[in-house]
Amino acid sequence: MKKVGSDIRKISKIRYQEKVPEYWGPTPDEARKIMVKKSKALKDKRTSLKEAVQKHVKDGINLGIGGFVNTRVPFAAVREVVRHGARNLTLSFQSNSICVELLAGAMILDPDRVSIKRAEFAWWGYEIIGIAPLLRYLTTNGLIEVDDYTNYGMSVRFKAAAMGIPFIPVRDHGGSDMELVNKGQMVECPYTGRNTYLLPACHPDVGLVHVSAADQNGNSRIFGALCTCPEIAMASTYTIVTAERIIPEENIRNFPNLTEVPHPAVDSLVERSYGAYPGACYGFHWFDMEHIKMFRAAGEDFRMTGDKTMLKKYYDEYVFGCEDYDDFLEKVSYKTLSKVNKLDGGQPIILT
Amino acid sequence: MTEYSHVEMIAFTGSRVLEDETIVFVGTGLPIVSAVHAQYTHAPGLLMIYEAGSLAPILDMGMPLSVGDTRAARRATFLKGLCGAFELTQRGYADYAFIGGAQIDMYGNVCSTLQGEEYGKPRVRFPGSGGAGAMAANCERTIAIMALEKRRFVKQLDFVTSIGFGDGSPDYREKAGVMGSGPYRVITNQALFGFDEETRRMKLLEVKPGVTPEDVQELVEFELIIPDDVKEMAEPTEEDLRLLREIDSEGYFLKRQFKK
Repeated sequence: MKKVGSDIRKISKIRYQEKVPEYWGPTPDEARKIMVKKSKALKDKRTSLKEAVQKHVKDGINLGIGGFVNTRVPFAAVREVVRHGARNLTLSFQSNSICVELLAGAMILDPDRVSIKRAEFAWWGYEIIGIAPLLRYLTTNGLIEVDDYTNYGMSVRFKAAAMGIPFIPVRDHGGSDMELVNKGQMVECPYTGRNTYLLPACHPDVGLVHVSAADQNGNSRIFGALCTCPEIAMASTYTIVTAERIIPEENIRNFPNLTEVPHPAVDSLVERSYGAYPGACYGFHWFDMEHIKMFRAAGEDFRMTGDKTMLKKYYDEYVFGCEDYDDFLEKVSYKTLSKVNKLDGGQPIILT
Repeated sequence: MTEYSHVEMIAFTGSRVLEDETIVFVGTGLPIVSAVHAQYTHAPGLLMIYEAGSLAPILDMGMPLSVGDTRAARRATFLKGLCGAFELTQRGYADYAFIGGAQIDMYGNVCSTLQGEEYGKPRVRFPGSGGAGAMAANCERTIAIMALEKRRFVKQLDFVTSIGFGDGSPDYREKAGVMGSGPYRVITNQALFGFDEETRRMKLLEVKPGVTPEDVQELVEFELIIPDDVKEMAEPTEEDLRLLREIDSEGYFLKRQFKK
């Protein structure tokens, strides 16, 4: 295929450094090799979050994060990553809020425990609640390298990885500055002769995904929007799934069409109700605006004043001050959980 | 006449530009208010795509506060993920896209990534493209919503996040490999803009009653095309305002103020 430019230079003011096409994480060949070596048996993969994170999360990995902004985000898993510690992380996701900000805040408080080296994503913020202050701090100070894509671009990069192909053609990014700053490339399509943008597959070393339900083997059902969770789970070389409920294998076999993540894509499975809290989980609970606002306010206070007190207080209380996630939920309070349950409005899901 | 806010005017105008029996890919906030208002009034057959994966949901738990909100997935007719939603647009199922941004230029290119001239060290970093870049590329027509301010309607963007007509050359979008036909309307609190077919430059279509084309030009850094037949923007009736306020009954979006 012929590499072409789309002559878009000089529309904007931006100065940039052209990126070398490279995978920030395993290459498609490396990811395939790891998959081939794994046992594909239907076996019980249940473990604790602590063990799952200890087993898979290492310094320097590309960490894939599921969910979308404030919905079905793998908060329990990310919180455990912060407790465990991981340095020089690459983060990859389409759009996220509190999970990536929690990692960013941990880096600001103690970079020897948690640090982000770079991130590839489409969007990082809180939507209605506001812009992400810690992303602002890290980027304007040049502390992390970023690589911008669209939401479709990031989603389809995981999809390409899940499909086992090295790149995927898309009809977006072209003609915008993203074409210049990210790792995609414009080529002439060998069939139509038209310019088409290619995006490299994205294989996270470890993917974190929260699902509605899974059987003990990891076969997972997701209700509500799938976001990009099936693709991230299948793209990652190791996937940690937290599930709102564990259901019998028989239930999965009754409705195999409902399985969105097949068992060989799941390495560690943790039954973790409220695993997406303070994000929402369709059929179970809505998001908790107050908790998210409280955490964001701590981040914004640091960005405005440089004073880490509020930020540290949040981590001391909600991350390091609770031995496990149940302790965290107890601090959140039954009243709050009951309120967010009601706000979901009982959307129908199939568990049997 | 009931008093209405700038934001309500934008939501009402957003509704007005949408046609019946089409599909609009909505961003969070006002686009949803506009689309629901259109469904209640002149476009009962209008349907929405929300980017986390739903087509034609019924918003019976109130306004979604995010396009990924579980509220936006409720009772949809088709519900997959982001790949599913955006592939609908790539294939040509989405007639309109509603996007926002920090800056727009005369060719309808939009910036929502950063301010500053250094990609690696911006002066201000915004959340990023999100869905907007793909929406502007592949929905058939792009509608941008923005406050009419000189710092937003600029000669040159800091960063092109969402493609418009590029540098205005006729084959720009084709070279960029995108599928949609491009910018269609720009909705602001004081004026409605379209684009000139020949030059692809932003053109003033309507102004708010009491506002002159010269007032509008004052708030825009680049030179607008101002035809002789600039119309007055329609104002929301009391019934329109009642509907809009009922749609966003918690006031999450309509009660927002523009920053001074």
